[in-house]
Amino acid sequence: MIEFENVRMVYPNGTEALSDVSLKIDEGEFVFIVGASGAGKSTLLHLLLREEKATDGTIRVGDYDLSTIRNRKIPYYRRKLGVVFQDFKLFDHKTVYENVSFAMRAIGAPSSLIRVRVPAILKSVDLSAKYKSFPTELSGGEQQRVSFARAIANNPDIIIADEPTANIDPEMTFEMMNLLLKFNKLGKTVIVITHERGLVNYLKKRVITLDKGRIVDDTKGGLANESL
Amino acid sequence: MSRFNVGYLVGQGAKGLFRNGVLSVAAIAVLMACLVVLGSFSGLLYNININLDKIALLNEIVVIVDYDCDDAKVSEIEDTILALDNIESITFTSKEEALEQEKNRYGEYSDVLDLLDKDNPLPDIFRVRYASLAGVSTLVYELEHIDGVKKVSNRSDIASDIENVKNGVMRVFIGFLAVLFVVSVFIIINAIRATVQSRSKEITVMRYVGATNRFMMTPFWVEGILIGLFASILAFGIQWYLYNYIEVMISNGYKWLYIVPFADIYLKVLIAFVGIGVLTGLFGSLISLRKFSRK
Repeated sequence: MIEFENVRMVYPNGTEALSDVSLKIDEGEFVFIVGASGAGKSTLLHLLLREEKATDGTIRVGDYDLSTIRNRKIPYYRRKLGVVFQDFKLFDHKTVYENVSFAMRAIGAPSSLIRVRVPAILKSVDLSAKYKSFPTELSGGEQQRVSFARAIANNPDIIIADEPTANIDPEMTFEMMNLLLKFNKLGKTVIVITHERGLVNYLKKRVITLDKGRIVDDTKGGLANESL
Repeated sequence: MSRFNVGYLVGQGAKGLFRNGVLSVAAIAVLMACLVVLGSFSGLLYNININLDKIALLNEIVVIVDYDCDDAKVSEIEDTILALDNIESITFTSKEEALEQEKNRYGEYSDVLDLLDKDNPLPDIFRVRYASLAGVSTLVYELEHIDGVKKVSNRSDIASDIENVKNGVMRVFIGFLAVLFVVSVFIIINAIRATVQSRSKEITVMRYVGATNRFMMTPFWVEGILIGLFASILAFGIQWYLYNYIEVMISNGYKWLYIVPFADIYLKVLIAFVGIGVLTGLFGSLISLRKFSRK
């Protein structure tokens, strides 16, 4: 479970990015977080990743209280999360296989486990045939699937996708969403940060709308707010 | 850290070294120069000390006793000298022994000194060896003020001059070395920072997937250590060549000077170079990662 309780975030320059935000996301939920530019979506993401610490309020993710978590525990907390980046953040000098295995290496997984797990993950995202390819040899959709494969490499409980369809063409968008839904069906929590109304309306999942740092709408099975 | 990753992290550190070729070479070169200067000055000071010990005979003061003193008075002067601080040993030479030594020196012409047997003009003397050069002036003053002492003569001036040269060399050495070390640490910091910059995307991804700080920073520590290691090994080779060159030059031209053979000290030099080089490299890495490790 993810729980924000009266969370307020003020940056050192005085900008109040989030004001009195309270929300609960249950385990296994699929949630869209939407809002215009400057609404507070990125701040919410940074708080969830514990890159920033909330000025006020508490944030709990599973057993972790992000307001009191010790710095040395943060890496272990982040292993519960998988992040899909808008710009993919793939390494051009590494192959598809190396890009995915990198996530496992980074947490000290043994080579024997990497050798078994990475091919299985690549198969699940339909990239087995391209394991030797470099990102520059792949389409935008394929690159995003590599990014997704890397995000799930360490078997996280929660996937956070930051504008996952911003840099891919429309037909690949639904392919990407299918992967997220497939992951969600395994009982994992999926949070998608986006401003694509069509996508949100099509999937009819829970939608949390932010505006000027506040939650202005939270609808289950709903549509994106007209202001989006 | 998992044992599975040691090879991987060391490999990443080595890659970082090559990734910033020019900066790495600059860091190695400056640190190497620093170590060669350190080694050269240390070798110089070490050999000065050895030679100072060898000219320990200069650490002798001659105390000339008043001609009129009888045996009882001479014995009293000896007791007084022995009671002073900074005395290593004393040797007494009576006026008769002194005349005998002079006669021996004159060899076949010693007859000319026979005339002096009845009216020996030579005084009784004490040869005093002191323990430390530092307290010599006090000792000379105390000796001069012993009742029955006519004159005190010492050669501490030469030993003192050598000591002064040693101290001067030491001061220049420390100043020069401090500047060189600051410069080399600065270059190492920049080399490591350049690696951090070039790997910023990797670091971001590592952070998001839950890599520990230690895992992320180990390659940079390895890079700093490798810079120190390469610099120290190169410096050792240069030092070896330089020392042997000077050793041969001195043993041919200045036979009165003693220089410790490099074979006797090479292990100490190697350990010191590698130790200082590696620690300096690691120190540079730690400073450049200070901000990064707080994130």
